[in-house]
Parts: sequence; C-alpha cells; structure tokens
Amino acid sequence: MTNIAELAGKDPLSRRYFMEMSAKLTLGVSTAVPFLPRNFQAQDGAKAKNLIYIYMAGGMTHLDTFDPKKNSGVMGSTEMIDTNVDNIKFGMHLEKLSKHADKLAVINSMTSTNGAHEQGMYIMRTGYNKRATIVHPTVGPWAETLLGKRGEILPDSVVVGRSTSNAGFMDPSLSPLPIADPSAGVPNTQLIVEGERFDRRMEMAQKLGQQFTSKFKYMGPDSYVEYYNQANKLLKSDALSAFDISNESNASDYGTGRLGQGCLLARKLVENGVRVVEVIAGGWDMHVDVDGSTATRVPELDVALSTLLTDLESRGLLESTMVAVGTEFGRTPDINMNSGRDHYPAAYSCVLAGGGIKGGTKYGETDGSGKKVKSDHMKPEDFLATIGHGMGLNLEETIYSPTQRPFTFADKGKPATKLFG
Amino acid sequence: MKNSIKTIIQTVCVMVFAAFFASPAQARTWTSTDGKSMKAIFLGIEGDNYKFKMANGSEISVPKDRFIKADQEAAVRLNEIGDDSFTKASARQIDTLLATNLKKNGYSSFNDPLPDDLFVRRVYLDIAGRIPTREEFLEFAESARADKREALIDELLLSPGYASNLFNYFADMYRLQADEDFNNGIRMDPYLEWWRTQLEENTPYNEIVSTMITAEGNVGQNPAAGFILRDTGMEFDAFSNFGQVMLGIDISCAQCHDHPFDEWTQGDFYEMAAFFGNTQRSTGYRANASMMGGGSIQMPNAPENWKKNFENWASTSKGIDMKDQKDRQFRYFVNALGWNVADNEMMETVLPADFIGSGGKPNTVANPRTMVGGAAKMGGKTRREALADWLTAPDNPRFALVIANRMWQRAFGRALVGPVNDFSDEMIKRASQPETLRFVTREMQRVNYDLKQFMRILYNTRAYQSIATAEEPDWADDYYFQGPILRRMRAEQAWDSMMVLQFGSEIDTKEGADGSFYKKVLDIDLNVASNEDVWAHFEMWKDNQRTMGNAVVSASNDNYPEIINDKYLRASELKQPYVAASMLDTFGQSDRQITDSHNYDGSVPQVLALMNGEATVQLTGLSSKVVEDLEELDGPDDKVRGVFFTMLSRFPTPEELKLGVSMMEDYGDDGISDLAWALMNSPEFLFVQ
Repeated sequence: MTNIAELAGKDPLSRRYFMEMSAKLTLGVSTAVPFLPRNFQAQDGAKAKNLIYIYMAGGMTHLDTFDPKKNSGVMGSTEMIDTNVDNIKFGMHLEKLSKHADKLAVINSMTSTNGAHEQGMYIMRTGYNKRATIVHPTVGPWAETLLGKRGEILPDSVVVGRSTSNAGFMDPSLSPLPIADPSAGVPNTQLIVEGERFDRRMEMAQKLGQQFTSKFKYMGPDSYVEYYNQANKLLKSDALSAFDISNESNASDYGTGRLGQGCLLARKLVENGVRVVEVIAGGWDMHVDVDGSTATRVPELDVALSTLLTDLESRGLLESTMVAVGTEFGRTPDINMNSGRDHYPAAYSCVLAGGGIKGGTKYGETDGSGKKVKSDHMKPEDFLATIGHGMGLNLEETIYSPTQRPFTFADKGKPATKLFG
Repeated sequence: MKNSIKTIIQTVCVMVFAAFFASPAQARTWTSTDGKSMKAIFLGIEGDNYKFKMANGSEISVPKDRFIKADQEAAVRLNEIGDDSFTKASARQIDTLLATNLKKNGYSSFNDPLPDDLFVRRVYLDIAGRIPTREEFLEFAESARADKREALIDELLLSPGYASNLFNYFADMYRLQADEDFNNGIRMDPYLEWWRTQLEENTPYNEIVSTMITAEGNVGQNPAAGFILRDTGMEFDAFSNFGQVMLGIDISCAQCHDHPFDEWTQGDFYEMAAFFGNTQRSTGYRANASMMGGGSIQMPNAPENWKKNFENWASTSKGIDMKDQKDRQFRYFVNALGWNVADNEMMETVLPADFIGSGGKPNTVANPRTMVGGAAKMGGKTRREALADWLTAPDNPRFALVIANRMWQRAFGRALVGPVNDFSDEMIKRASQPETLRFVTREMQRVNYDLKQFMRILYNTRAYQSIATAEEPDWADDYYFQGPILRRMRAEQAWDSMMVLQFGSEIDTKEGADGSFYKKVLDIDLNVASNEDVWAHFEMWKDNQRTMGNAVVSASNDNYPEIINDKYLRASELKQPYVAASMLDTFGQSDRQITDSHNYDGSVPQVLALMNGEATVQLTGLSSKVVEDLEELDGPDDKVRGVFFTMLSRFPTPEELKLGVSMMEDYGDDGISDLAWALMNSPEFLFVQ
C-alpha cells in the first residue's frame, strides 16, 4: 500500500486534502497515486466565475438560427429578422432573443473536420479529438483541477441531460454529477432507514467491500467507493435543495421542455455555488423536414436562452457567469431529398454571453450561402480556449495523465481575446 | 415468448469438423447402471434408445435405461444443444494457443482456476444476463457431478435468458430503438421483435445479416426492412454504420475527404456506398442532386400515385382534412405506411459537388465496388444481393473475424483486436494473439455462424474459467488473456439482476410488447388492397393512439391492442431504449444513436439508486423480501449464508460470517436486511469477477 507520507511528499497538500486522503486509505481505496487537484488562482482579469454551457446535440442548423442569408436558395422557409444590434441578424424563430443580441457574441466562423456526432460532440466538450487510448475530461474537471475545489458538499460541476459522466483521465471524484431529467433533480434521495441504522449499513458496506477493492487494482471499483462517499455527504446535507426547481416562481418562463427546465436548474445551481453546468439537449439532427423541426426546436432555444439571460442579469449573476451555446456542426446549406439538412462541419455558429464577453459582437463571417468561413476561423479547441480564457484557466499549464501523458486545457486552442470587453 | 431452440444439425457439423481437424472428434465415456463403461460419440436420441458412433466407425443403439442417471441427463442436454466433443476440442485448441503465447511473453500460465462460486455467478451474468437466485446457486454448489460446469453452460445457453441478454448486445450494436420521434414516424416495433425471434431461434448470424441487407417492403410486410429504414434520410451515415458493424472499419471520415490514417479514399467510400445507391426507402419526397433522374419518386410496391389517390379518396369518402390537426393520425398512418424499402433503377449514388478527395470527380456517378477484400459478383443479382453474398461468402474472412472478435470480447471483456468497430488490416497483423484470432475466425465459419455454438466453445476454455485479472490492463498494451478482465455489470445486467432478486427466475419468461400490433396494422399489399381495406387498417391504428406514456402495445383483438404498462420486465422486453432517468439509463444503457455506445462510467445517481431505489426498498426496507425469503432457514449461521448466496452468490468468509452473525444477535431480522443492504452496496455486487 502507498504510504501516506509519500503521497503527501508528492505535492504541497492542504491539511484538509491530506485528511481526506488518509480517510480514503483507511477505507482501503486509492492505492494508486491519485490525481491531485491544485489550488491555482484564476488568471488576472477573468470575470467568469461560473459557466453555463448549453449544448445543442445533433448539429444546430446555422442558417436557420444565428447565420441567416439573403440568398433565398439556401434558406428553405426560414426568414431573416433584425436584432437590436445592426449587423447581427437571426432566423425568424429567434424572435425573443433578437432583443438580447446586445448581450451576445455571435460566432459565425466555427469550423471543424468532424462530421460525425460522437466525435464532433467530444471535441466540442473536451477540446480534444476522440482517441481510442485515453478519455479527455470536460470543462468541469479541468476547472476544478486548475482552480481548486470550490464547494464542500455540492459538486463543482453538473451535467444536465446526461445520465452518465466521467472525469476522463482525472480522478473520478472530479466527475460532473449527471442529472438526466432536470425536473426530477437527483432521484432516489429518500433514505430507507435513518440515523444510526443508516450509518451502520454504510459502515458495514465499506467493511465488506474492502476485500474486493483491495484485490482488484482497477479504477472501476475504486471510483464506486468515491461515489458512495460523495452520495453519503450529499444525503446528509441540505444542499440537495439546490437541485429542486419545483418551487421556482419563474419556472414557466423558461419553457416546459428539457432545455428550458435544464437552463432553470443551471441558474439555480450556479446561484448555489456550482461552478460549471452543462445543459445538453438534442433534437437538432434534422435530416428530414428541416422546416417542421426548426419550428419546434428553435423556439425552445429562443425562450430558454432569453429567459436565462434576463434571469441571470436581474440576479446580478450575468457579469460573473459565462453562458455558452455550442453544437458539433452546422447543417448543409443545400436542402436534401427529404426536405432536410445533413451534417455540415465546414461552417457553423456558436454563441457566448456574460462573464466578461463584449455583447453585441459579431465574430467571423461565412460566404453568401453559409458554406465557407471567410474570416476569423474558430475551431472547436479555439472555442473552448475562449471559454477557458474567460474563466481564467491557465491555458499553458500542463497536467499529466496517470500514464504521464501531458495535456493542456483546450489542446493549445487560441482564445479569441477580442471578444472580451 | 417463444422458447423454441433450433436443434443443431449434427451431421453437418461432423462433416465440416472432420474436414477441419485431422484427428477425429473425441468420444465421451458412458457408464451403465451395472458399472460398465464405453467410449463413444453420442449421435442422438431415437425413441427410448441412444445412438452412438463407436471408435471403429460402426453405429449402435442402446436402451436409455442402461445408463446411470447423470449420463441420461447428459444425453438429454447433448441431444438439445449438440454433441460437445467438438466444443471441447476447440476450447482446448484455444487454450493451447493462448498458453503458448503466454509462455512466450513471460507468463507461467493462466490465472488460477475460477472457484465454483465465482464461476456460477459469472456464467449466469455472461450467458443468462443476470445473477443466479439462491436456489440456482445452491443447486450448482451442491451438485457432485463431474461435468457440472459444461452442463450449466449448456443449460444457460438453452435458457430464455440467453437470447434476452444477447438482444441487449445487438440492440446496442445495431442501434435498435422504437421511438417514433427518432424515426420519422417509422414504427420499428416489428423489426425489434424480429431480432428477438432470430436470437431465440438461434438463426445463424450470416443469415440474419443477409436477410436484413436484402429486405424489401415495409416493416409490416417484412420486419427485417427495419434495418434499412433505421437511417432513412441519413443514407451515407447508414453506410458508415454498415462499415463499423459488418466490417469493423470506421470509414465515416472518408465521406468528406480521404481517410487520414487508412488507405481509403473518398472515392472508395462512395463506390462502396453505391451498393445501397438504388435503395429507395420512402415515398412522396422530391428527388435532388444525390439521385439521377430527379422528379418525384413513386412508392415502391404500390400502384402509381397510390398515396395521392388514397388521400383524395379519404377526403371525399371519409371527410379527412389533410391540413386539420384533428386528422393528424391519418397523416401519421399514411406516413408510416410509406416507409418502404425497394430497389429503384432511377436512382444512383452521385459524388458530391464539393468532392475533394481522390478516386473520383464531383457530380459523377459512383458504381458499386468493394473497398476491402475481393470483388463482389454482380451477375444477375441486385446490388444489395451481391453485397450480402460478398459479405457473407466463405472467402471473405473479415466478416467472420468481426463477429468472432466481438463475441470474444463479450466473454473476456476485451477484444482480440480493437476497438471492435474500427481496426485496420495492419492492426490484425499486429494483434497480440494472431494465431488465436485466426483460429476463432475459422471456428466462426466452421460452426456456420451459430453464435450459441461459438459462445459455448469460449465458455468452455480454461482461459475463460480463470480468475479475473487483478490489475487493469492498459488500453495501449498487449494483453495475453491469462483470464477475463474485471467488468462492471452492463446496465441491463444490473437491471435484470434487480428483477430476479425481486421476482425470482420467472421473470425470464415474462413477456413485454411483441410488435405484433404494428406488424398487423402495416401489413398491407397496396397492389391488391382496396381503399376500404386500407381504411380498416387506419381505424385499427387510430384506436391505438391514446396517450400511452411509456407503455408498449401488443395485439389482442382486432381494433384494441393490449397495452402493456408493466415495467417489471427484463430489459430486453421493455421499450427500447428505456426511459430517461430510469435505472437502465442511469447505469449507461445505450441511447441507440451511435453504435456500441453503452457505457460503464460510475456516478452518484447510480449509487443512490442502489442505496435508496425501488428494488432496494422492497428487498431491504421495513418489510424486507430478503428477510421473508430466509424465514424457512434456522439459525443465524444459515441465514447469514443465505444472504450471501442471494446477493453475491458465494459463501461468506469466516470473518464475514462472524460479522453477519453478530449483526443478527444485536438486531435480529433488522440485522439481516442491513446485511443484505450492505452487500448490495459493496462494489463487489456490481462487478463481474
């Protein structure tokens, strides 16, 4: 077994962390050198203390949302509307949001080489290309590693709209907490037996599990020991109320769907101290009938995002919370035989707001039919680097995986610093 | 659900086997009630006699009463699943190949042999997809039969759990799902039921694949058409999935440019995709540049303008208003009926206008050509027939290798070459076990793609029946299969284990939806059916469309389907995939959008489900099912053992027994349910050792 003093010698550890490690070792877990989060300061000038990353899974059609064109040959039945910023135009279903364009940086020059959903989503969430030999962490575990753990009980990061998550090569304790259904919050939190009897059960489970976890030197069983510790802490606190949106007065303003309710939950979590919340919502893979699909999907985004921005602003949180809207690719300007649009990574659009972002900014441009990026090309890793820059993550800091491979946040992507005011 | 298991045609096996192995099949020793014994190959049961082949080649019949009970049981089993002498010879051959390679790489031998208790839990999980009950565990533990391991493997391969468990695997691989929102209104239920039936009947895998690739019609007339219809509107993505699943090659990036790492060009991609280039999936949509000819496309298997004529008739005779929301079910019905697979000579695959790779020119027609292996023979066949024949031909070893490698991964937790859906020829050459890979590929061909017989070989190897490897092998390092690797239960295994803990082994035969309602509603030959006939089918459809939540439907009488709103079913019988935030979803059940996307990540919600979830409440709550089930047992020692049998399928160690007994002394029955809770919530419960 690894000696505690030896572990402590690896890194200047806080006393609290040292105590946690000791506790872990007496429970017979973490015999490998664990991944250690460190207490770095955020980079100077960074205003985004929190991040809400709204992810449009399936590939958000850029022409029908944030990059409409005058060329009617590529527009289907989507019409272009004005916003409260002169040179920013939206598709007609973003009507409410058009009054908030002065809060947004609209990036029309996203470009990627990943035409498949899984790979595209992977790089948009991790900043790295998907590989068969390692799993890269998402923004939450990175921020916790580079900035230190923020909360004692609540997790530092949460992913809404996913039923599972991981911390990649980082320690499982940094995994974002997955919330599959925002309206249901954290399910199964009602204890079967209470008080002393519950403690007895937990203690016995730990004792009985020791032989197994010490026999198999796998990350899997160890990670479950960690999740039990986290669950135990969570159940014994009143922090769970942060996940309950059933009594929020403005719940209906967000829209009743998963996206709207996810944004509401994200706002509440950020308010309660969670640093990074990803809200993942699908339905953008519009290979068939793009007009019909945008007519339902885009208004959901319109309502949810407008309400989120207003809500954050009225609570004084917009200045310290960056809101990002990302997707894996755009959709083909040419409408296909099934009246749909196919995958189009060559040009697409993403949006940033709050947390120091200069509102009313249009960044980059595509040609007259939305096919090619003409200026300020932004790759997925650049988009993540821009988010990281806003959060004050040190983009140069090298973090080593357990197999001693070096990684930096967003894989040497270039932040678009001119987006910041 | 149907339990029919195809009996193996032994003579075919014998002939193929004999051609493959120089040495004859091994005989088994049979013992008579008066203590005499003989060595012979078992051929089958004929009335009250057993037929054998003797060493000298002669065949004899012996009355079954002459044999001891254990041999009579063996004969029944072997008669059902086939003689196991070939299986054992193949298993031994795999062990020899692996052992040689282990020695070459500095290992003395396999991991220690798996003790009986770990064996029984592992094979129940791996084969039947769930943990054994306490009774099933004890039956095995107490059996003194020398061949009890082979017998249990066979028994489980013949049990309904086998097909249910395998269905979950293929549902992930083939992205089987029945959510109409994802599928443009196509009803996939009959296609899913078709898959279940193929696995229950143990249809050879190459036949399953051929049938799917060449299917025509809609899912009502031909449920296998669901395979082609699955990716309607995403024809090139469908082809990329075809590559990953059937050939083990991920060629998706060659859709837009030459493959950066492999030898495939963008031209290769479109030429191979052209095997599906004249496959029409739908009706009523306008054609565009990706097809030659243009213009509107007729519904296949239907008279010209059928759709328009039927809609006009319904509007005149039945008062249907196509634009009115109240008649939306009519639109959905006609839409669902219109998803129909056929070959259309007007269609071609055309290279895209922004083609930038090599091997072709923009806007030119791509002719079907295979990008790996030999050429497909077109003569007189449709494109899809030619592709299916090429794919499953004996001289295309890649198809056999892909499925053998996948089945190997199911048994050992790690593939011989991987990832299973994307490996190059170069990686096959560099595999850590090239001889074993070659051997199992030939075995897959020898058993004629009978997956049950193939898995039977793997489960009978010494390599499989070893203690799981204790250190996690690095992804990038070679692994020599000194034993399987430790795995967490799949989401479905965890779910099905909870089901068996709550409801006992009867859960294995409890049926959910069978897709028959939609099969019946959509089974219409439009060339023959009158408008009134079709209308009658629409009325059935309409009656079914009530708010059903997560319920699924089966046929009962003509107009009213039976609605099954029961969630206490095995995972394979539930809605596919099951609902968000359910325990299946929480434990990583594939969402069926990307192939092989089941995941094994842990999470806080998972442990909360085990700590406080519905099943845990029933098993260890104030009125505890575990306590109730153990009432028949006397004394704390037996009860504590009983809890270990129920939860972990093993005997407690002396310390564990002591701990449990002291809990009972202090807290009585509460101590029992506390112990059950603790075992469910120790990591051992979730892992397949």
